[in-house]
Amino acid sequence: MSRSTLTAPRTLTRRTLTLCTLLGTSLMLAAPGAQAQTSGGVLRAGMQADPVGLDPHVTQATSTRNQLENVYDTLVAFDPSGKIVPSLATRWTTSKDGLTWTFTVRSGVKFHNGRAFEASDVAYSINRIKDPATKSPRSGDFELVKSIAAPNKTKVVFTLSKPFSPLLSKLAFSLNVIVPREAAATLNTKPVGTGPFVFDSYVPQTRMVLKKNPNFWGKDAKGNKLPYLDGITYSYLPDPTARVTALRTGTVDWIEYVPSTGISALKGDANINVLGGPAANYRALFFNVAQKPLDDPKVRRAIAYAINNQEIVDVALLGVGGLASPGTVFPNGSYYAAPDANYGKPNLDKARALLKEAGYPNGFPLELKVTSTYDFLRAPAEIIQAQLAPIGIKVNINALEWSVYLPDVLAKKYTATILGESGQGDPDDYLYTPFASDSGGNLTNFKDATIDKWLDQGRQVSSPAARKKLYVDVQKRLVDLSPMVFLYSSTQYEAARKTVQGYQHFPNTSYIGLRTAWLGK
Amino acid sequence: MSAGWLVRRVLMALLAAFGVGVLVFALLRLIPGDVVTQLIGLEGNVSAAQQAEMRRLFGLDQPIWMQFLSWFSGLVRGDFGISLRTDRPVFQDLLLRFPVTLELTGLALIFAVLVGLPLGILAALRRGQAADLISSSFVLIGLAAPEFWLAILMILLFSLKLGWFPPNGYVSPTESLTGNLKSLFLPALALSFGLAAATTRIVRASLLDVLSQDYIRTARAKGLSGGAVVVKHALRNALIPVITVIGLQVGSLLGGAVIIEQLFGLPGVGRFALEGINLRDYPVVQGAVLWIAVSYVLVNVVVDVLYGVIDARVTYS
Repeated sequence: MSRSTLTAPRTLTRRTLTLCTLLGTSLMLAAPGAQAQTSGGVLRAGMQADPVGLDPHVTQATSTRNQLENVYDTLVAFDPSGKIVPSLATRWTTSKDGLTWTFTVRSGVKFHNGRAFEASDVAYSINRIKDPATKSPRSGDFELVKSIAAPNKTKVVFTLSKPFSPLLSKLAFSLNVIVPREAAATLNTKPVGTGPFVFDSYVPQTRMVLKKNPNFWGKDAKGNKLPYLDGITYSYLPDPTARVTALRTGTVDWIEYVPSTGISALKGDANINVLGGPAANYRALFFNVAQKPLDDPKVRRAIAYAINNQEIVDVALLGVGGLASPGTVFPNGSYYAAPDANYGKPNLDKARALLKEAGYPNGFPLELKVTSTYDFLRAPAEIIQAQLAPIGIKVNINALEWSVYLPDVLAKKYTATILGESGQGDPDDYLYTPFASDSGGNLTNFKDATIDKWLDQGRQVSSPAARKKLYVDVQKRLVDLSPMVFLYSSTQYEAARKTVQGYQHFPNTSYIGLRTAWLGK
Repeated sequence: MSAGWLVRRVLMALLAAFGVGVLVFALLRLIPGDVVTQLIGLEGNVSAAQQAEMRRLFGLDQPIWMQFLSWFSGLVRGDFGISLRTDRPVFQDLLLRFPVTLELTGLALIFAVLVGLPLGILAALRRGQAADLISSSFVLIGLAAPEFWLAILMILLFSLKLGWFPPNGYVSPTESLTGNLKSLFLPALALSFGLAAATTRIVRASLLDVLSQDYIRTARAKGLSGGAVVVKHALRNALIPVITVIGLQVGSLLGGAVIIEQLFGLPGVGRFALEGINLRDYPVVQGAVLWIAVSYVLVNVVVDVLYGVIDARVTYS
C-alpha cells in the first residue's frame, strides 16, 4: 500500500562514503565530474523475478514496475529524496478549493511508435486505470478524480470530488504511467512508452531486452542527452546465491535484492560495489483489534512495552537486515516522522502494570500467524515469543507459506502477525491506508474517530507544515493505541561490478537510477 | 504386442490424465485466495465493488462446474486457455518451455544411467570389495543429499571457483549448441544424482539376484567366458526391474526439475507452474500440471513397451 514521501536514509558506512558522493539523499557511484561521462554499454541486469505481465496498469508487481519504469514516464516523478519533480508535466497549479488541478505537459515528446505525446494521452491513461474493465489493482488511487479533460494539446485538467493532496504521489507512482491509446490493446505483449529505453523483446523466464531511445526528452544537469546506456538486458535469476554468483563471475553487471547473507562476501570483492541501505518500509507486529484481549489498547501497549526492537534486529536479522523502529511507520529521517527515542526499549514494569489494569495480571495465550516464505518476517517470531514470556504472554507460532498466508491476512483471519509495507510517496499512504477505518488496506480492524478525522484533514490541506502537524499527532496517538507494534525497517541493496558507473540508488525500490548509469571500461 | 493392447493402454493413460486434470482443478480452488487477491496483494488499492467486477471479468464468479466445463471443452479442442497474468495462450508458453524441461530431464537420465549402470555392475561383480564399498557410499550420499544443496555446492565449485560453467541462465540450442550444453550441464548433473544412486543400487541388487540363478551356473558350466555370461545372460535379465525403477523415477526427475529450474534460472515447465501457483493463475497451473502428468504417463507406456523388447517372455495381448 503506502507509497509515501520519504526522505532518504542518511546512514552511510565509512566505506561507502569514501566511494560515493552524497547526492541529495541518495548515493551516486563515482563523483560526478570525477570522470567524464561516457555514453554507452549494454547493462546486463540480474533480476529476482519475471514481470507479472507487461501491462503496467494491470499489475501491482514490483518486478513489472522495475523492469518497465524506464520504458515509460509518469506525469510527475519522485526525485531520489522523494520530492515531486516534473516529468511529462512541466508545471501544475491547484485551485483554491483544491478541487481542480491543471497540468501543463511537455511538448516535443514522442512515443516509441513515433506518434507525438499530447495532453489527451494523460486523460486516456488515468481513465484507463480507473476503468473497471482494465482490472487495475490501483483503480482506487484515482477514486476521487471525477473527470479529466484535455482542453488542448498541452493542458490537462483533473476535477476532484473532494480535495486530495496525495494526488501528485499517485501520479508519480511508476506503474501509473502514460500510455498511447492506440497501443493499449497490446501493452501486455509489446510495451510502448515515452521513456529512455524502448522495449525490444521478452522471452519469459529468460530475458527482456531494452534498447536506447535516441529521441528521449530527458537531459542531465549539464544538458547532455539521457540515457547514457545503449541498452539494458534483464535476465532472471530467482535464487539469491545464484544471483550473487552471477555477479561475481561477471555473467551480469548489476543485480537487485542482494541477500543479507551475500553482502559481506560482495563487499570483500574488489570488482564489486554494494549500493543501498535502509529502505522506505516498516515491519510491525499487527494485532487484530477486533479480538479479545487485543481489543483493549492497554493490552496492546503492554506488549509494545515488552518488546526489544534492537534485539530483534541484532538476533533475528543477524545485524545486517534492518534498523530498529522508533515507533513510527515513516522511514528514518522522513520529514513527516515523529520518532520516539524510547520506543522499542523494554519496560517490563510498565508492561505488567498495564496488563494488570486490563485484567490480565497473569498474561494470556497469543496466536501468532507468520509467513515462512520471507525470513525477515519469519525470524522475529521466536524472539518475540521469548520477549513476551516474562509478562506471561504465551505465544504460539503458526508459520504458513506466503500464498496461503496472504489471503488469510487480507481476510483478517489472524490474531497477531508480523507484516510490513513499503512506502513510495505521500505520507497519506503510510497512515491512511493501514489505519483509516474505511480503508481497504486496514488489516487490523482498527477504528478510531480522532485518527479518522485527522487523516481526513491531512488530505484536504496541502501545505507540508500543516500536514506534518496533523501527522505527528496521528503518530503519537498510534503509539498510545498500538494497533501495531512497530519493530524495524528492512534494508535493501543492489550490487554492481565496478564498471557500472553513475547508477543512483533510490530508497523506494525504484530503478529510475539506471537512466544515468553507464558502463566504463 | 497387439494393437488392441496398445489402444487399451493409451486409453487408460488418457483416463489417468483426465483424473489428474480434475484433481488439479479442484485442489487449486481449495487454496485460499484467487488471482484478484494475489494481483492486488498488500499494496494495491481497489474498492470492494471493483474487486467483484474484476472477479466477474476473470470469469471467477461462475459456478465451479461451469468453469471446469469451459476449461475442459477448450482442452478437447487443444486450447489450454489464456494466462490470467500475461494474456498469453498457455499452450504457446508450454511449447516454449517444455523443450527445456525435456532436455534437462533427458540429460539427467543419461547421466544417471551412464553412472549408475557401470557402477552397479561393478559393485555386483566385486561384491564386498573396495569397489562395492565406494559404490555403496555413493548411493548413500546420492539418495540422502537434497539436489538443491548439491546444486548450490556445484555452483560454488564449478562456476565461482573454477569458472567452467555459467552459474545460471539458459542458452537455446539454436543459439549455440555448446552454450546450450554448458548451460544445462550443472543443472542436469545436480538433478541426476538421486537417480544415479537409485540406479546403482537396483542394478547391483538385480544383477546379484540373477547371478545366483541356476541358468547362470549352467552358462558358466558350458564354458562361456565371464564377460559373455554377464552381458548376454545376466544383464539382460537384470534390466527389467532397472527399467521399472527408472520409469518410475522419471516422475521424481520432473518434480526435482521444478527446484533445479528455479535454482539455475531455467525457463522450464516447472518454473512456469510455480509462478502460476504464486499468482493463482489457474489456466497456467492446470495446463502445466496436466502437461507434466501426461508426459509421465507416456513414459510409463514406453516402459511397458520396452519390457517386451527386452524380455521375449513378456507379451501383451
